[in-house]
Amino acid sequence: MRITCPFCGERELGEFTYLGDAKPQRPAADAGEDAVYDYVYLRDNIAGVMSEHWYHGGGCRAWLKVTRNTLTHEISAVEAAAGAGAAKVGA
Amino acid sequence: MSSSAIPYSTIRMEGASVAEFSWDVRSPLDRALIVGPYGAQGEAGVSLTEIRNFDLVQVMARRGNAGEMMAAAKARFGVAAPETPRAVATADATLIWSGPDQFLVLSKDGKHLIEALAPGFAGSASLSDQSHARALISISGEKARAMLAKLSSIDLHPSVFAVGAAAATSMDHTSVTLWRGKDRDGQAVFNLLVFATFAESLWHTILDSAAEYGVTIGHSGDL
Repeated sequence: MRITCPFCGERELGEFTYLGDAKPQRPAADAGEDAVYDYVYLRDNIAGVMSEHWYHGGGCRAWLKVTRNTLTHEISAVEAAAGAGAAKVGA
Repeated sequence: MSSSAIPYSTIRMEGASVAEFSWDVRSPLDRALIVGPYGAQGEAGVSLTEIRNFDLVQVMARRGNAGEMMAAAKARFGVAAPETPRAVATADATLIWSGPDQFLVLSKDGKHLIEALAPGFAGSASLSDQSHARALISISGEKARAMLAKLSSIDLHPSVFAVGAAAATSMDHTSVTLWRGKDRDGQAVFNLLVFATFAESLWHTILDSAAEYGVTIGHSGDL
């Protein structure tokens, strides 16, 4: 599997580290215990297209958001995750 | 911990028996690098030159200030800093892309020390002195690209990786900054910055990969 880093170009898998599902959003401070539990521990086991966070630690050290089909490994989109670089992506 | 638990030897550190340390600057490859030929005999296919005594400063834009950082770089160096994986030569330095909104300033003879760069980038970028944190290896020779192909998965063919091309990548699971310098004697020159503490390990891997082509090893103070 190869990932096309938006900053570096196409690179081998070994340069990247997998974090996991990019969907969960940190709940508000007053959201309650269930919401925090859900955010920290509960994950969908998706068979199909999934949005994931990958880290290009062996390259430009940017966090990426990768849209990948977990059944075929087909990657349909790669973009910089929020906070990558200083200017290109919003907060 | 009570004072009685302190071994007497540490108490003696306060006195005249403190070991004398030498703070002479030494290359991370000081022990591993042996000048001369290595590997297959005959004309060397790979030339390895460690570049010593360079100044290296990491410049990273602060959030939302990449534009200001680029303007400050232009004012300092007279040319635009790289915004894509490239190495840009200025009159007395090389600016090497190292990631989004960040680059390295490579120079020598104290022309662009962190103290000199800091005022110009104040507010727009964070600077970090990496002069003694990296080893710099220059690789050339007829078989340089064949040797590097064993270590790197990126395409270094001249049609793809021309003079001035750069990459933040990994070799032998070690992060490196690689860029193609000016050709020397009609041959491509690949420059490699590697973390000082990983330099010896990568050096041995490079020697293993290059041995079959014959290697000539040296070091230099010239960038």
